[in-house]
Amino acid sequence: METNKRVAITEYLDLDIESDQWICSSCGKELISSEENYKKGCLVYGKDPREVHNPLIKGEFNFAPDPEWVRIIEFYCPECGVQIETEYLPLGHPITHDIKLDIASLKDKLDQGEFVIINKKLEIR
Amino acid sequence: MAILSPDEKLAMIKVTPPDERELRSVESLQLGDYEIGFERTNNILEEAMEVFVRSSRSSMGVAGDSMVALCNAKGDLVNAACGTFLHAIIQPIIIKYILQNYSENPGIKEGDIWLVNDALYGGIHNPDVAMLMPVFYKGELIAWTIACSHTTETGASEPGGMPINATSRFLEGGNFPPIKVGENYVLREDLLEMFAAFGMRAPQMVVVDTKARATAAHRAVTRIVELADEKGVAYIIGLLRKMLIMAEEGARKKIQSWPDGSYTSVNFSDGVGLEVGLTRSSHMVLNKKGDRLMMDFTGTSPENPYSYNAHVQAIVGHISNFMYGYVFHDLPISSATFQTIDFYFPEGSVLNPDVKAATSCSVMIATGVMSAMHNCFGKMMFSTKHWQDVVASQGNAGNGQILAGLSQWNMPFADLLAYSLNTEGQGGRPELDGENAFGFPWCQYGRAPDIEEMENDLPMLIPLSNHWKDSCGHGKYRGGSGTVQIWVAHHAPMIFFMSIADNSKIQTPQPLFGGYAPSTVPGISVKNANIMELMKDKDSQLTLDLVEILEEKSISGDWTNEFFGRSIRPFNEGDIITFAFSAGGAGYGDPLDRDPELVIKDLRSQIISDWSADKVYHVVYNQESLKLDKEKTEQARAKERQNRIGRGKSFDVFCEDWSKEQIDEKNLRFYGTWPDAQVIEPIMRA
Repeated sequence: METNKRVAITEYLDLDIESDQWICSSCGKELISSEENYKKGCLVYGKDPREVHNPLIKGEFNFAPDPEWVRIIEFYCPECGVQIETEYLPLGHPITHDIKLDIASLKDKLDQGEFVIINKKLEIR
Repeated sequence: MAILSPDEKLAMIKVTPPDERELRSVESLQLGDYEIGFERTNNILEEAMEVFVRSSRSSMGVAGDSMVALCNAKGDLVNAACGTFLHAIIQPIIIKYILQNYSENPGIKEGDIWLVNDALYGGIHNPDVAMLMPVFYKGELIAWTIACSHTTETGASEPGGMPINATSRFLEGGNFPPIKVGENYVLREDLLEMFAAFGMRAPQMVVVDTKARATAAHRAVTRIVELADEKGVAYIIGLLRKMLIMAEEGARKKIQSWPDGSYTSVNFSDGVGLEVGLTRSSHMVLNKKGDRLMMDFTGTSPENPYSYNAHVQAIVGHISNFMYGYVFHDLPISSATFQTIDFYFPEGSVLNPDVKAATSCSVMIATGVMSAMHNCFGKMMFSTKHWQDVVASQGNAGNGQILAGLSQWNMPFADLLAYSLNTEGQGGRPELDGENAFGFPWCQYGRAPDIEEMENDLPMLIPLSNHWKDSCGHGKYRGGSGTVQIWVAHHAPMIFFMSIADNSKIQTPQPLFGGYAPSTVPGISVKNANIMELMKDKDSQLTLDLVEILEEKSISGDWTNEFFGRSIRPFNEGDIITFAFSAGGAGYGDPLDRDPELVIKDLRSQIISDWSADKVYHVVYNQESLKLDKEKTEQARAKERQNRIGRGKSFDVFCEDWSKEQIDEKNLRFYGTWPDAQVIEPIMRA
């Protein structure tokens, strides 16, 4: 069964342990190798925070993060456009490699029966 | 002097191995003894906590932002009633320090009452005062009880115990290493007077809170002794050790069930002390292997010359806020759950500063770590059976707003008001929005005080107290709404105000799985405001709607809009001291995935605005009837998804452009080297 080889790592990211790919769980698109930062398989956009946080009042302090300080970095599935992840970063700050799974350890635990995949979740036997 | 090194303090949190007698006592426990005994400790601590809350005087004490704990004779944390989880995990350091240094002189005796608030010796920051009592049974030390809460005054350079202008610990008022303040179950009057003198801005609060701590700790002592009378001393010794063993086992089992790997979150703050400036307040890499966790904070910004620094155990305390609140919610509040968790805090960073550093606002810089916990653990646990414990970051703003002067009863006071602290929004969760106004990130169980109670005591009127529209982080499951109040100076010729916070330029919490962060928080006040006149005028068109007031300036006066963190300043009768904002929680998941009916519901309950429903959620509806147009909503959302695909760039192309951007250097004074946040030059403190 397909679900027995896929683990839901986040709301929109599956890990396929047979093809070693990050998968968009919204549309099934293969994003990139699971050895890579999944963000490299996404489309990326730096959004002005005033497009998300209504600047209610005029002036320097207005309920929206300051666009001279920060952008909302949005990561989209290139196939279906779902917003897989977001990060608020100061201008020019490197993008975070937020998930580095020990794939070898995971496969080993699955092989040994320590973990089983049920409904895309890891369960301990 | 015997100031503890950071490594010594971290080592003292680890559980001391059992001795032979403890192991024999564990063996002697009968079937059901552990389960029933564990619950007895819960009941004892809950009773003491209730006594504590009812005995306290300061705003945070009355709100329940406090803790009562039970440790074994060796000082290891067995259980607690919370309250403020961060106060629990640090107690082993304090007790082990007392055992190591003061067993002979002045000695540890039945009826002793000890006090400590100094972060160099294990505290969080000096407004947090812990009082400890050893529990003796027939002459033998068998346990310790502790009551801890945030006091309102320390005699620092500014009122309220958290001076934002302090540049070293020498401007922070009273910093007390562990000191015996009572003997034979009686507090020493001379030392009470000393605390009152340090707290002369609010002496009745300082003294009453001090007595409340002693009362609460003593109630727990009484009940433990009664339990020993009933079940025997071996039962107590065995039960406490068994609770440590079971807590450690439970934590190891949980950790083992998560996938190995490393998980990273980077969080920022936008001001320290009185100055605006970017700090990478937490660069957290959570390494997980087997049943062990290592939290590495390499890359966190250097210590700064203000009080926005935290000693290492204070950060462990903030980590425990999340761990006990979510991850270990079904385990005892025990230091044994941290047995397989290790930490690295780089020396010279805001998370491990010099001994002379000011740390009275440690709780503010620690918001980065608190927020990072949600993201790192969320990404580690979502794939496991603990997925329901995943939650986007709570507001973690800690908008600490302090009033000082004379109360309506002509009593001097200086207080950190609990309402704005205790009504932040929770983060969005898998399948659930965050709770609106859920509580205090430092104390999920804390209660927001009644408005009438605030108005009865404090010299002010609160004509507006509502959910704060659009404060939440948007998402498939949005963060909980924060709140807003208007504070009007009333019934006093003058009142002093200051605000300890940041989050005006950039919010510290990162969203989760495609959601958005909460909105930022401006510092708004109106001197010479006419709000009192408008409220008296029966023909006035004034509506107490935040958006309308802000957009139309329907209250006239001298408006000021500045950074939310503000230095001490006076206000007169009728002035709007501040719009008191309490931040919303971070959002979870893609907002385009949010059930449009939930968006309509949020519009009806005024949690979000039409602007957000349109621009963020892309929901189409009749603005008067709020009737949803499902078809047009689906079309609008499909169009926005296509727009994303159209405007998004490949990772490499984006990074090439992005790397050419840089925040203005004038805002990087506290950041360290760019972008890796290493120390540029040491801070000199005389």
